[in-house]
Amino acid sequence: MEIGRPVPMLDGVARVTGTLPYAINLKLPGMLTVKVLRSLFPHATITKIDSRAAEQLDGVTAVLTQAGIEPHGKKPLIYGAFLKDQPVVAGEKVRYIGEPLALVAAESADIAEQAMQLIEVDYAEMPAVYDVKEAMNPGAPALHTAFPDNCFTHAKLRHGDLEAGFAAADLVLEETYTSPVAQQTSLEPHVTAAQWAEGKLTVWSATQAPSLVQRVLAELFGLDSEDVRVIVPPLGGGYGGKGHVRLEPMVAALAMKTKGRPVKLALSREEEFVTVTKHAARIRIKTGVRRDGSITARQVLIYWNGGAYADVSPALVRSSLVRALGPYRLPAAHVDAYGIYTNLPPAAAFRGAMSSQTTWAYESHMDSLAHKLGLDPLAFRLENMLREGDTFVTGEKLHDIHFVECLEAVAEGLGWEESPRATHTVAAPLDKGGEEAARATLSVAAPLERGGTESPPTPLEKGGAESPPTPLEKGGEEVRRGRGLAVMIKSMPATSKSQCRLELNDEGRVRLFTSTVEMGQGAHTALAQITADALGISTEGVTVVGPDTAITPFDSTTSASRSTTMMGRAIVSGAQDLKSRLIQAAVPLFECPPEELAAGDGAVFLRAEPEQRMNYSEILKRNQIQSLEAQGEASTQGGIDPETGQGVGSLHYHQGAGACEVAVDTQTGKVSVLRYYAASFAGRVVNPRLAQLQNDGNVIYGIGPALMEEVVFDAGQAVNPNLSDYQIPSFLDGPKELVSYALEAEGSEFHGIGEMTLPPVAPAIANAIFNATGVRILDLPITAEKVLKALQNE
Amino acid sequence: MNDDQLNFRVNGETHRLVVAPNRTLLEVLRDELGLVGAREGCSIGMCGACTVLVDGKAISSCLLLAVQADGSEVTTVEGLSRDGQLHPVQQAYIDHAAFQCAYCTPGFILSTVALLQEYPNPDEETIRRYLSGNLCRCGSYENILRAVKACSSTSN
Repeated sequence: MEIGRPVPMLDGVARVTGTLPYAINLKLPGMLTVKVLRSLFPHATITKIDSRAAEQLDGVTAVLTQAGIEPHGKKPLIYGAFLKDQPVVAGEKVRYIGEPLALVAAESADIAEQAMQLIEVDYAEMPAVYDVKEAMNPGAPALHTAFPDNCFTHAKLRHGDLEAGFAAADLVLEETYTSPVAQQTSLEPHVTAAQWAEGKLTVWSATQAPSLVQRVLAELFGLDSEDVRVIVPPLGGGYGGKGHVRLEPMVAALAMKTKGRPVKLALSREEEFVTVTKHAARIRIKTGVRRDGSITARQVLIYWNGGAYADVSPALVRSSLVRALGPYRLPAAHVDAYGIYTNLPPAAAFRGAMSSQTTWAYESHMDSLAHKLGLDPLAFRLENMLREGDTFVTGEKLHDIHFVECLEAVAEGLGWEESPRATHTVAAPLDKGGEEAARATLSVAAPLERGGTESPPTPLEKGGAESPPTPLEKGGEEVRRGRGLAVMIKSMPATSKSQCRLELNDEGRVRLFTSTVEMGQGAHTALAQITADALGISTEGVTVVGPDTAITPFDSTTSASRSTTMMGRAIVSGAQDLKSRLIQAAVPLFECPPEELAAGDGAVFLRAEPEQRMNYSEILKRNQIQSLEAQGEASTQGGIDPETGQGVGSLHYHQGAGACEVAVDTQTGKVSVLRYYAASFAGRVVNPRLAQLQNDGNVIYGIGPALMEEVVFDAGQAVNPNLSDYQIPSFLDGPKELVSYALEAEGSEFHGIGEMTLPPVAPAIANAIFNATGVRILDLPITAEKVLKALQNE
Repeated sequence: MNDDQLNFRVNGETHRLVVAPNRTLLEVLRDELGLVGAREGCSIGMCGACTVLVDGKAISSCLLLAVQADGSEVTTVEGLSRDGQLHPVQQAYIDHAAFQCAYCTPGFILSTVALLQEYPNPDEETIRRYLSGNLCRCGSYENILRAVKACSSTSN
């Protein structure tokens, strides 16, 4: 069995010797270096752009501006996989600070820099808008004429009778949580090289989406997709930031002007911050509960800040509908998710996409509810948790559901039952508040409306019926400890396709051709194991090739933790096909009909007499076949109605949980995560060593946006676009004790685990802080400053 | 700008180069010598992806002007393995799965080599502090810790 083996990463030696061929190392004969001239204003019309002097400079081969894009002349080239709203380079108008205006291809970086200084740009500034709510106000500056209210998408989920649900509640609580702009921060930046030859385009790019890049470039330049070749070397990290079309259109357009010489652009760290970001989100969440702890209704309004271009947001905003509510049984639920343009850099997937923001809201909110009800946060969650066979808010019947096991695993790991919890000592507020308090909350139980004013805190919030939770260490200690937990649900893309090609040679070795991108998650190793397992050979006998669209078949993207599931299925189907071909080839050798033969364990054998066998290599050699090929494919056709949220949201749902203990220094506000337990539901673990890395890595990654990461903007200008002012977790920021579990279940499918332990991190920490201090933080990141301020306001 | 002479040894080999005074050691290693194990991550000495050893000390090569390495002995990750044999620290990183995308790995490995030279038997706190100048965005810190601990006990 190759599934479940802790195989070391296939190219481990290259990784520790520094020889892995990242795109940033790419050198091609005659290659030119590219630099980008970027907008200095958040919103302006361009009244003049003159690049003549730059073009004259010695060592400059080409300058690309919108007017000079070949062969389209003055017609701007616009792209976008979902909404065609983004120019290859800005021409008439710029919409954010850092937007590309011109590209220079030169013999050296120094010359390219010098040339950029020579490009003259005149701007006529326009009013700009950065906040989602301001952007939706009447009279706000519109970024795109087609969307006068800046709302490029509004997705809705409607399930059950919301008003009846709130009316049936004993308590209705409404809160607003926010999550700021953050940056994916792959240590390898975005890198793209391009070269044209005889009307055909080759692109080398650090992207998670080779097939998508191929399609978008073919559409943009009016080519057949075979005439666009996209090659993707291993990535130095992706985390969603490389999940969509980024540098490829402008680099390819520039390469049209270099007479066949290849060009390469590698972004600086600062440029990364204006190229792609995590969606800032403002989330209003309102839940009705009965005093026994059962939820009667939940409503969520989400304002996603998409930045200046829609990019992948239309799909992500829609996917946020099923990621918004949490893994709970909800008799009635409404979600309204708005995608809003603002004059900020475009936002896209950030590991744990959309779920990180929504889980921050609903899991913090769950603890607020538990506290108001006087219930244990774990028991309150378990009481309402979705279970196997339940019907989801989309109307689909759920399978492979293990939220309870995930949450129980982390609670047990942390020792939840042993901890003296505050809520045990607090009388249930509703008993004290009685009818009056219940009615008071019902008076604000009307459904939330878009925009408008947010309700004041419900009376119960200020009612003083409950006392703050008692910290684990009682009394006025300067450092207080607390525990918290959280759980999350995430969907895969409902419609997606993966294809692969398997090639067996007469030595018995197999090559797997796949467009799945290896970005450190170990996908190629896991896929090699699945290939080996399906064919009954050893993983060491499998070589993984790709992605290179000239030789590897289609794959939707390497994102949303879909590869092990979808490419894994494609491989299993391809292996099936390969085995039938082997049986066909073995028929003349065994001199029996194919029905009497079976393949497995690296050989074809007689079903009746399995010891009568012939290995794959021998079958090929005896038939004088050098190699045998087979194709595999897996696809899903799902999707939800954007007006109702009804349909199929995901092939299956991703599940994760976390529990932690924190120390809060009440003198400084500093929060330290002492112990963290994480769990994801993996279905079947392909490689336990790599699974643990994914689970652990998500916790470390998640500590960033939880405690420290925020791209700060001043009038549209990112003021901390460097790793000194924008800090990411170091060795000193992780918990001293970190334990993760990848849970399995008999007969289960492969579940992706690339993100599942990440979204619970921030709310688990916030809940632990609340447990320690009674302070509820509503806005990420949970900096020492915010905690201290909240403590002082207590 | 006048170019300067740079005479130094890299991974045991002597090099004589003419470089512009504003060139960093990282640029010279990557662009002139083709040693791409050192990588730019932040360009301001915060991430450690460009770590190399200069006379045995771990430094950020993005912050050192190449001419400042004149007369020095520089070791990059390419210089660690001998005769096709991985350095024990490299082997430990493989054995303990101490990397994911591995963009940061050469820097971590070189910092580990320097750490073990300075503290042959470091405790956990020393390891965490010493390596806090190297960032791993994939978050492989726990396994890196295991790898470093394994090296310290086996090397003694």
